[in-house]
Amino acid sequence: MKKQALTYIVASLLLAIFCALLFMFQVRQSEVAVVTTFGKPTREVHAPGALHFKWPWPIERVYKLDQRVQNFEDDKLDELITAEAFNILVQCYGGWRISDPTAFFPRFGGGSIPQAEKTLRGIISNAKSTVVGQHPLADLVNTDPQKLKFGAIENEILSRVQAQVRTNGYGIEVLFLGIKKLQLPQSATEAVFKRMQAERGRLVDAIQSQGEAEASKIRSSAERQAADVVASAESQATQIRGQGEAESAKSLFVFQQNPALASFLWRLSAIEQSLKDRSTLIFDQGMPPFDLFRSFGPTNAPPARPALRPVQ
Amino acid sequence: MSDHDHHSHPPAPQAPLPEDAGSQALAEALSSSFGLVKFVMIGLVLVFLVSNFFIVGPQERALILRLGKPVGEGKEVLLGPGLHFALPYPLDVVRRIPITELQKVVSSSGWYATTPELEQAGQEPPAMPYLDPNNQGYVLTADANILHVRAELTYLITDPVRFVLDFTNAPAALRDALDNALIQTAARLPVDLLLTNNTAFKEALTREVSRLIEARQLGVTADRCDVRVKPPLFLKDAFDRVLTAQVASSTALNEARRYQNQITNQASSTAVTLVNLAESHRKRVVELTEGEAKRFQDLLPQYQANPELLFQQRYNEVISKVLSNAQDRVFLASRADGQPRELRLLLNRDPNREKPKTPGQP
Repeated sequence: MKKQALTYIVASLLLAIFCALLFMFQVRQSEVAVVTTFGKPTREVHAPGALHFKWPWPIERVYKLDQRVQNFEDDKLDELITAEAFNILVQCYGGWRISDPTAFFPRFGGGSIPQAEKTLRGIISNAKSTVVGQHPLADLVNTDPQKLKFGAIENEILSRVQAQVRTNGYGIEVLFLGIKKLQLPQSATEAVFKRMQAERGRLVDAIQSQGEAEASKIRSSAERQAADVVASAESQATQIRGQGEAESAKSLFVFQQNPALASFLWRLSAIEQSLKDRSTLIFDQGMPPFDLFRSFGPTNAPPARPALRPVQ
Repeated sequence: MSDHDHHSHPPAPQAPLPEDAGSQALAEALSSSFGLVKFVMIGLVLVFLVSNFFIVGPQERALILRLGKPVGEGKEVLLGPGLHFALPYPLDVVRRIPITELQKVVSSSGWYATTPELEQAGQEPPAMPYLDPNNQGYVLTADANILHVRAELTYLITDPVRFVLDFTNAPAALRDALDNALIQTAARLPVDLLLTNNTAFKEALTREVSRLIEARQLGVTADRCDVRVKPPLFLKDAFDRVLTAQVASSTALNEARRYQNQITNQASSTAVTLVNLAESHRKRVVELTEGEAKRFQDLLPQYQANPELLFQQRYNEVISKVLSNAQDRVFLASRADGQPRELRLLLNRDPNREKPKTPGQP
């Protein structure tokens, strides 16, 4: 009997699992389930954390759709024409998700995400060429942030796509959209390269001449400054010398008492100063004190000439 | 199975033993295969039980989806490193999330086409006078220049549930946002700023990408952006020349400033010297005159007593001093007729000094 009981337990367990697989299903947080009855979508289930009932195939069938945000990307760079007939290449990317599974499911061959993306690609392609055609290139690249309308253009494309998707009732919600690549056709890059090269050349010239001008400005101002400093020092020096001379002139009155003596003393000190050293002196008997020699030399010498006499 | 053996033994002797060797062989084969099945079953049960325990490594977190719904609330959804238990599949599903402290995503949609080999060798592909949009990436700057830019975003997953459960490929969405931020930032800034002011570029880019992350609720926080900027390979020389010119210009400026320093220092030292000289001149003049005046005062009484005597005394004193200092002294005797003598001097320059010749002309 033991064996039979075990067999029953195992059998009923297996049956329970089989029935559970047949009649129950679960959905994940990130999913939504569309239940079809004889191929027609009848209800959608989005309640994770519980088991849900269904009739077994072929009565009901459960399709699970991923409700996470899907990344979308243009597969190629579309060549667009701006408002001023300039060719540019724009690649967009975006994020979308299934918002209405019941609408989405029959529309795209049993909830095929690649098929939905293909449709979306067409819509975005249209929207972006329309929007870019209304703007000049200066709205996309500009040194003045006030004039730049990059974000506005992205939003315009997005709202166009959203409107289109809503009207068509795809059951899709486009959450965000942006420009991933903004480039130029090959021939245009050649022209841009030429322009850039010329710009660099101009820049080199400007830097050189500016540097030279600046340097020579510094030099000349330095020279002028230096000359000013020296000149003012010279004038100060002259002034000081003058002061000294004026001060010394104050003591001149002393010499007034006897100008003859003063003149004699000055002349003496001039001789003393000028013949300080390394001088060669040539003198004759007429000069005192060598006039003493005369008494021993030729007799008829002229009378002694006094070399220095106070001017009386 | 032991039940089975026990149960089936008693009737065994009743069975005709020898007549059916074939069925006995079959029974043996069956029992041995039952043994194998038993073994496999036990193994499967063990594997099933063990598989309900799982280990979360140090570089990851995990969350349990019970019937499709995350177990726990808020922060508790995430299971840290360690041993954890989950109910058997399909009741529980374990999702592992790689979380290093900081993760990285690289945007290279603005970079030139290169190969890993060239990259490894630090080489660049050959420069072309144009860029093929199908395989070359670049950005347009605000002043419509072309630049190659590569960015690396370091981020922190702050909301793992959102990051893992709400996006099919959150890192790809993040890379798209980085691409987007990169061309938007480039479209706003001029080429020279992008090339020279890396910090400003990085800041602007981080701001932009943070804004996009915020708007899309990607569940991450941008930590920082690193960028590499390169002018087009074809224009490398042209851009290098600008750099060289800048360096040369700043060298010239530095030189000019050095000259300025030098010349002003020189001037001020000259000025100080001039003033000092003048000052000392003034002092000397004043002192000299005062000294002379003093001496004059002293000599005046003597002079008034006997002028001639004072003259003689002073004069001879000075002459003897002068003569003792003089290098060469030449004495000319008077001519007999009392006429002055004629004297010819041959003067040499100082260095090869010769004694001046004094040919006495009779």
